[in-house]
Amino acid sequence: MSTINFSAREINFKIVYYGPGLSGKTTNLKKIYEQVPAESKGEMVSLATEDERTLFFDFLPLDLGKVNGFKTRFHLYTVPGQVFYNSSRKLILRGVDGVVFVADSSPARLRANAESLRNLRENLLEYNLRLSEVPFVIQANKRDLEDAIDMDMLKRVLDPQGKVPFFEAVAADFDGVFEPLRAVATMVLEKLAQKA
Amino acid sequence: MLEPSLDLYGSTFDSVDGILRELLAKSRARYALIIDRKGFVLMHARALWAPRPPSLDSFATLVASNYAANRAIANLFGEEGFKETVQQGAEVGTYLEELGAEALLVTVFDSTAQLGRVKVATKQAADAIRVELENATEAPPDVDFDAEFQDGATALLDGLFGTRDR
Repeated sequence: MSTINFSAREINFKIVYYGPGLSGKTTNLKKIYEQVPAESKGEMVSLATEDERTLFFDFLPLDLGKVNGFKTRFHLYTVPGQVFYNSSRKLILRGVDGVVFVADSSPARLRANAESLRNLRENLLEYNLRLSEVPFVIQANKRDLEDAIDMDMLKRVLDPQGKVPFFEAVAADFDGVFEPLRAVATMVLEKLAQKA
Repeated sequence: MLEPSLDLYGSTFDSVDGILRELLAKSRARYALIIDRKGFVLMHARALWAPRPPSLDSFATLVASNYAANRAIANLFGEEGFKETVQQGAEVGTYLEELGAEALLVTVFDSTAQLGRVKVATKQAADAIRVELENATEAPPDVDFDAEFQDGATALLDGLFGTRDR
């Protein structure tokens, strides 16, 4: 749920980048950090291992500006993708407003994508949330791989009902990085407007 | 109807602000913050003599995450949580108290403050804030996060991210 701070006249949203290990979640945040103007971003914090694998999370605050007198902010988080860090993933999902699922386009990672998505569903249930209730988009990353899996196949595996917005990306080249973020942020705002 | 994460506005806000300032005076701590467990800053106070704090967003996120991780560690051993969360460096330390199910009170102090005094003052402040929150009766300000808000925010999103990726 969004956090509304009436005294500071701020409204804050939490967006989490989820997905299997090495799918490019941290790369997304790094590219966003590089591209967003200085006045619209805070410090990026990364809790990573020595070999730069995410240990706990990456964090990047974005300041959208004032809307109706309220400072509107998005806090972006990544989770560690490696299977054995599930406790950390659960903690990061607390209070989530929207999720960008970063899928790996390598055929060898198709199963890891599916397992990570199932893990996301399970972890959201710990907070009594169903994935269908949370603003959610999928970014198919690493589309530049020579053997990148066919998009239809990826969609059939990750979204057989065809309800989730998909975005193709090469995050390392800053291709398709902003679109899924803008889409999920818009969905989060729509949800807020529906509740108001 | 949207609910704020904590009833901190109007007279309750003023009272809690006073409690935080009293906490700083009593403990000789640098900063006192109330953050929600998702890692957002709800209120903060800074001693007049204290240096400029680091990024409060980063600090609040790390404190909330650290608290959540410590609680998960306690759960592994059948504990609901740890009674105290104290961190002390060579110059700076932090002390944390829970404020109900949603928020945390964290005090940041340096080597000029005594840990014992910080603990006592923070516990007293937490008790006083809990009472304020329990007695809060004022309704939140009437703000509509409606379609107009959505349109304004979406326009800002377009401004920040552009309508195309490049």
